Amino acid sequence: MHKIGIDLGSSYTKGVIVNKKNEILDFYAVRTGFDFNKAATKILDKFSENYKFSSPVFTCGYGREQLNIPFIANSEIIALAKAVYHIYKCKCSVIDIGGQDTKYIKITDNGQVDKFKMNRKCAAGTGSFIEEIAFRLDITAKEFNQFAEEATEVFQINSFCTVFAVSEIIGRIKQGTSIQNLILGIYNSVIDRCIELSIIEDKLIITGGIPDSHPKIVKLFRDKFPSAESPEKSQFLAAFGCVLLNS
Amino acid sequence: MSQEKSESVKLQSVNSLRTTMDSYFQRLKTATETGNKKIAWCTSVGPAELLYSMGFEVYFPENHGAMLGASKMAEKYIPTAVSHGYSPEICSYLTSDIGAFLQNETPLQKSGFKTVPKPDILVYNTNQCKEVADWFSFYARHYNVPVLGISTPLNINELTTGIIQYVAKQFEELVPKIEKVATQKFDIDKYRETIGLSHDGCVLWRQVLETAKSKPSPINFFDSAIHMGPIVVMRGTQYAIDYYRILLSELQQRINTGVSAVPNEKYRIYWDGMPLWYKLSSMSKLFANLNTCIVASTYCNSWVFDDLDSKNPFESAALAYCKLFIVRSDDEKEKVFEKLLKEFSIDGMIYHESKTCMRNSNTHFGLPVRLNAKTKIPYIEIHGDLNDSRCFSEEQAIIAIETFISQLSSRN
Repeated sequence: MHKIGIDLGSSYTKGVIVNKKNEILDFYAVRTGFDFNKAATKILDKFSENYKFSSPVFTCGYGREQLNIPFIANSEIIALAKAVYHIYKCKCSVIDIGGQDTKYIKITDNGQVDKFKMNRKCAAGTGSFIEEIAFRLDITAKEFNQFAEEATEVFQINSFCTVFAVSEIIGRIKQGTSIQNLILGIYNSVIDRCIELSIIEDKLIITGGIPDSHPKIVKLFRDKFPSAESPEKSQFLAAFGCVLLNS
Repeated sequence: MSQEKSESVKLQSVNSLRTTMDSYFQRLKTATETGNKKIAWCTSVGPAELLYSMGFEVYFPENHGAMLGASKMAEKYIPTAVSHGYSPEICSYLTSDIGAFLQNETPLQKSGFKTVPKPDILVYNTNQCKEVADWFSFYARHYNVPVLGISTPLNINELTTGIIQYVAKQFEELVPKIEKVATQKFDIDKYRETIGLSHDGCVLWRQVLETAKSKPSPINFFDSAIHMGPIVVMRGTQYAIDYYRILLSELQQRINTGVSAVPNEKYRIYWDGMPLWYKLSSMSKLFANLNTCIVASTYCNSWVFDDLDSKNPFESAALAYCKLFIVRSDDEKEKVFEKLLKEFSIDGMIYHESKTCMRNSNTHFGLPVRLNAKTKIPYIEIHGDLNDSRCFSEEQAIIAIETFISQLSSRN
């Protein structure tokens, strides 16, 4: 029987179905909305079209205990660390940029979480910062990323606060600063908030929904940390880690 | 489905605590209504002994602030204080207390008070922070009563004779100023007796906290945060002594019979920083469910003034109130932490960084990193506030705490 891991995050609910060899067979994500159980049900319905799977399911994230079916809840940080170590099998640091949280995790050379840190109660440095600015500027994630690729120089964003960052950007647009350079500045602002979480000395792994949908961010991390990597579909790693923790 | 939840085991002494605290407020109420005694307001680590020895009933606005937080009323009042020009960034005890006052509301109304007890005098010590002077000045202006203060140097590294004498002199200089308001003259023998009572109460409180060195611990931080009431507001009276004898006896009984505060205690945590007053109950359940007992805390240990000495009342009071953790330099704080981490067999540390209480947050100047390098004891920081729940992201904190305990379990 296959196993299912579900990461019920603040923005998206991500699910993976994993075989006995701990290989991911399929993955699926839906917007979480306000009903965690409904979001998880959509994932299960999708997987049940093609697979049979065992009960309980393995969960993590904000909605990890909000299911009406049997589940085993896990810490998303421990789960993510497990999945990252499963892939890289080395001592490393992880920066995970999610919708509401940004996390730093230091993983030891035997795969244990050595320490971790989360962002303060502030959207700066998280996916919400980028999403809100994109919404206010009426551009998609793809366009956002493309604008950053076309930038010729970095504009320094001086505002931590999402709302004031938007005001600052609109003010600079009025003054003639190119949108491309401004958006590159937004990415750099997010990166600055991430790397201030801790000193990063080991190999850096970047995960989460934001690097998946904004690959320019990974490139910018590599400017500072040349060996940085971001695995494909990294936003599903915590869900995958839930299964690995219970294998 | 989720597993069965366990909860911490309630102390029977809570009934005596309620009686002790009710009697304290009844004395304040009688003084308010009959004028049989004058009322002094005092900061929580202020010169309470001096005031009790001179016949005052003593009221503590910080205790009131904590009541506003614990009763989840603070967030209703903070915006009122802010609208009157107080910053939301300053002490949320202050803003919730002043906000409640401006709305003419207090949880004490449930106990028959019309308002908080009207002060005849206000006396503070800045050992904990400077904001208490501004807080008390608000009421001094409102009631047109004297406000007196002791100014204590902060970030004390070596506690020199010079510092102690400087503060002791201020204690002595308060006497004639308080006498102008008091109904009775200062009596050194009465003061010695009060200092002695305060010392004995503090020793009992220390012994209460030290029962948590036992494995498993008979008491946790959430109990202590509630049961500390008498040492805060009745320090220097027989009432506090009587109560802590009852509590200590129950805790010793628990140790003898193997009853623990947290069933299945597996992990022992040190909590640094202020309590999250508005989340005491849910946090208590969270930790109990994780088989984790918070066995020691900076906050509850802050009312252990066992240097008080009736033979030398002014200097020993200065010493005791300058030795207070919050007054000390980071170097001295690290020494205290190292000692407590060892004595209480701590597995991990949680630092609560309070948005509006920088003095009670020890995360700002790299202390956790330095202490971790020395002790190798893992830690996390959580961000919140003592009273302003808007500064606290509960879900984020729960994830961090659950992960931290998982992290500890993987080490064992």
